[in-house]
Amino acid sequence: MSTINVVLCGLGGQGILFMTKVLAQASLGRGYNLMGAETHGMAQRGGSVVSHLRLGNVQGSLVKTNEAPLLLALEENEGYRNLPFLARGGRLYVNTMSPLFPREEVRSFLAKKQIIPRSVPAGKIALDLGAPMSSNLALLGFCSAFEDSPFDHENLRETIGRISPDRFRDKNLSIFDAGYLAGKKE
Amino acid sequence: MKRQEILLGNGAIALGLLEAGCQVVTSYPGTPSSEILPEVIRLVKSENLNTYVEWSTNEKVALDNAFAASITGKRAACCMKQVGLNVAADSLMSAAYMGTVGGLVIISCDDPGPHSSQTEQDTRFMARLAKVPVLDPSNPEEARKMAGLAMELSEEFRIPVILRPAIRVCHARQNIAFDSIPVNTKKSAFEKDPSRWAATPRFRLILHGELNKKLKEIGKRFDALAAYNFHNLEPGRTYPLGIIAGGVPYAVIRDLLDEKNRTDIPVLKLGAPYPFPEALASEFMEACAKVLVVEETDTLIEYLLGDRNKVLGRLSGHVPLEGELVPQVIDRLLDRVLREASLPPLAGEEDTEAVELVKSLQLPVRRPTLCPGCPHRASFFAIRKTKPKAIFTSDIGCYTLGMNLGAVDTCLDMGAAITMASGFYHAFAQDGVDQPIVATIGDSTFYHSGTAGLLNAVYNGSRFILVILDNLTTAMTGMQPSPSMGIRADGSEGRAISLERIVAGCGVDFIEVLDPYDIKKMTEVLKKASEYIQEPEGGIAVIIARHPCLIAYRAEAIPEKKKVTVTDECTECHFCIDRFECPAIYHDQELGRTAINAQLCSSCGVCLQICPKGAIVEVA
Repeated sequence: MSTINVVLCGLGGQGILFMTKVLAQASLGRGYNLMGAETHGMAQRGGSVVSHLRLGNVQGSLVKTNEAPLLLALEENEGYRNLPFLARGGRLYVNTMSPLFPREEVRSFLAKKQIIPRSVPAGKIALDLGAPMSSNLALLGFCSAFEDSPFDHENLRETIGRISPDRFRDKNLSIFDAGYLAGKKE
Repeated sequence: MKRQEILLGNGAIALGLLEAGCQVVTSYPGTPSSEILPEVIRLVKSENLNTYVEWSTNEKVALDNAFAASITGKRAACCMKQVGLNVAADSLMSAAYMGTVGGLVIISCDDPGPHSSQTEQDTRFMARLAKVPVLDPSNPEEARKMAGLAMELSEEFRIPVILRPAIRVCHARQNIAFDSIPVNTKKSAFEKDPSRWAATPRFRLILHGELNKKLKEIGKRFDALAAYNFHNLEPGRTYPLGIIAGGVPYAVIRDLLDEKNRTDIPVLKLGAPYPFPEALASEFMEACAKVLVVEETDTLIEYLLGDRNKVLGRLSGHVPLEGELVPQVIDRLLDRVLREASLPPLAGEEDTEAVELVKSLQLPVRRPTLCPGCPHRASFFAIRKTKPKAIFTSDIGCYTLGMNLGAVDTCLDMGAAITMASGFYHAFAQDGVDQPIVATIGDSTFYHSGTAGLLNAVYNGSRFILVILDNLTTAMTGMQPSPSMGIRADGSEGRAISLERIVAGCGVDFIEVLDPYDIKKMTEVLKKASEYIQEPEGGIAVIIARHPCLIAYRAEAIPEKKKVTVTDECTECHFCIDRFECPAIYHDQELGRTAINAQLCSSCGVCLQICPKGAIVEVA
């Protein structure tokens, strides 16, 4: 199996570590070896947070620039900040309400590198379902709706069900499903 | 039965220690080491082990405790961050001479970057200074195995051994398979030997000789330590370029070369770099015309290599002298070295265009801030308002972020809020200048190293206001209990230590305890404290600002929720945004006015007290 690199980003407190955990647990179930890198400490107090996940037989935990086919951003600006990680032909998934996404200045770059940008109001989906802190699950659901996603929808859904604490399970799944539906509509 | 878990590097280290029969683990939290002890506790509970654990009050205390256990024959470990080892250095240097009985492993976690530390210092140099062996893992699985090796080596050679994982090992995650862990039932036995355990200088010379002998033997062992010190030279072949690497940079280099199938460049991995495996390194050097050394964070291997003419690295300007060696940095420097050696470069895709594009976007810098509802914010607001001309000495913890509110001027090391306050006092007093000084320190940091400074300040007649920000936890590093709560590392009940009693015991006569959410009260007490330090019989005034951390105590921390809004009285002066800096108060671009972000707001209600126009009000 060749290596699959994923970069996840956003702001401290948005649940980037949990989102990474879902992808990691799901991949473990599919027989991948995995290595990831997390941000802890001071940056968790609202600063920029990045998490790397590498599936395959690798030694190092960090993704090199230009080598991630998948970038998931829980905040639009953090998505732009991490653009150097995206590989040619990669996919950029961003949680944003902005109708102007992706902003003008990055469009020619994305086109040149054949990167497909996709956005979803994950924060709003989560808020409408009464869990404003769960935009991470809406974004995962959205991402899993596309054929080209390296993560299988059913596998992610089963994983979320398995690792969510009992009192959050139903809510988490409903937010994941709502994100998935938003993706299916595209 | 074998099971598989996705472990944090720190969890893998915990696993390795327990698999090696570690019976005592002590620690003081600090990024990136903080999760080791909690992971030990988790495994001790799930595997029904008998290992004793404690959050010690500081790193020196932790190491002394673990050392004592070791010389009763038990296997012990002590975990800290790299700057914590500075605090424990006194203990380490002496313990190296005295030696151990049971294994003693010191885990000191480095922070190249730095991401969450004062310095980028390299623990391997501390090992060299103390003359103890050091192991440098490349990933979690290796860190787990090295924890076991460190324990074995320590016990065999009767010497403390340091395991030095860098942040990318500590906070990496990897799938790791493990079996059930047996209980180590070894009993304590202390054999008196004053010439060793209480050695005077005459005996210390003898112990130093013993230590040197041990190092020599361990160096030879490291020459043949094929699991962690190895190269892939083909016999008889010579190469224009070879690479020597250890720790995280080895992992990066291995991945880069493997991805491009570059079998033409041999690599010597040094996972056990000190005592230096001289013979192995010489063998490698002889086969290569030039050798590139890539190591974190400093130049240990580079210094220890004999033939300097062949060596490329930090000293030759080929490797950056500061900052983390992330893959793209290693990729670039490797390409330069390959070109200079007339070898084909790796030629990965350039990231320059993307990096320049991101720069041109001028994205907002996300500086870390205190959480909405954080009691420290209320304290800092009152301090800044009441004592605008003061020098604000502060300390290490979440509250360093008080600098965003203009209420933190200095942050040197653990405990320096107090020692620098007394230093400032005497420097100005010498000139006859009455300089107001307000020091802030958190509860855990005060227990760590506040008392010695406070005793000194009282004894030597300093005058300043000290605010102890008591949020009843060690917040920045992940909510470890502090002694004020009386809860111990494993959740069991311990003795609560009263801050008030310690402060009184240090000779302070002015002590006020209050809830900083009440800004009016805090302001009054700060004024009273200012008067007290001016009095002829005055001295140091201590205010204990006590309110629980919102992350640690959640609902309990705000018993009376107050929903707030901004009224039309608002003149857009942005005093609240600039001086209170709550993430929930913001200028809404679309509305063109100051507003409250209901998702972020904790409903603490503190901001009701701050608006000069009274435009922040409670929603009825």
